[in-house]
Amino acid sequence: MHEMGIAQNILDIAISAAGKEGASRITRINLVAGELRGIVPLQLSFCFGLVAKDSIAGGAYLHIEEVPVSGHCNDCNSDFSVKEYEYVCPKCGSAKIQLTGGTELSIKDIEVE
Amino acid sequence: MKINVMQDVLQANDRIAAENRQLFNKNRNLVLNLMSSPGAGKTSLLEKTAEKLAGKLRLGVIVGDIETTRDADRLSRFDIPAIQLTTGTACHLDANMVASALPHLKLDTIDILVVENVGNLVCPAEFIVGEDFKIMILSVTEGDEKPLKYPLMFRESALMLINKIDLLQYTNFNLAEARANARKINPAIDIIEISCTNGSGLDEWVSWLTARHRGKSGGAGHA
Repeated sequence: MHEMGIAQNILDIAISAAGKEGASRITRINLVAGELRGIVPLQLSFCFGLVAKDSIAGGAYLHIEEVPVSGHCNDCNSDFSVKEYEYVCPKCGSAKIQLTGGTELSIKDIEVE
Repeated sequence: MKINVMQDVLQANDRIAAENRQLFNKNRNLVLNLMSSPGAGKTSLLEKTAEKLAGKLRLGVIVGDIETTRDADRLSRFDIPAIQLTTGTACHLDANMVASALPHLKLDTIDILVVENVGNLVCPAEFIVGEDFKIMILSVTEGDEKPLKYPLMFRESALMLINKIDLLQYTNFNLAEARANARKINPAIDIIEISCTNGSGLDEWVSWLTARHRGKSGGAGHA
């Protein structure tokens, strides 16, 4: 259940960002979650609802944008999406790839009143 | 009104991890974050490692468990500093929990500090605690498809130990398949087959460990 800890972090960051702008209510949080982070959206939304209940983010909608795993090949310079956990370049077969997406876990923006 | 945030959700954890790392670097501790599912052999590995390193390198352990201090009790007979963190309901150790254990350890008397995480193939991989390397154990009784089911942990680990290799003949675990699956996720992962029961592969593991320690400390161990 790492969702609970993550939900608490999301709430802390959102409240601090809202506070800086003098907002009194948070209505929506837009989260970006890479596929590799293993977030279960339904569980995270549920946990967020619990931890946010008595805060200015109570009832806020947590929108989770899931990002598929993508990579860049350092040998042939091609960009591709990583399917079925094949961490090799589909074009030239090289294993010298770097991940360009799928590991992120960040709050993009929030909507406040 | 929309407010741009663009903040990593785990930045609070990562900041504390960076402070831990600074402390470890100052004391030249090689720090390993040891992960596996429950019962894969983390504590057994540490017992064997303590035996092998005795008189050569000084081991220290922080062990996380949801309840009980049994793991720390098992390790206490080896005369190595072992701090038990009972995590309550938490399924992993994070940087802050590890930081809370550090005042109880004399870091300048430790060469290799192992953070034995809570048994779990998912959550521990999410949190850095200030380690140099994440390493993991997969045991043959768990199944060779695990890398595909829990990719993040295999992706994050520098080393996969395949434990209970002495039981291989009683299982349908396919070694070649397990290696191929792990390397699909992480082509650079080191793999060592071990048995904590009959001792096979443990010398290779200790070599891996001492090489990493040499890399960190820039010199030989304390005899």
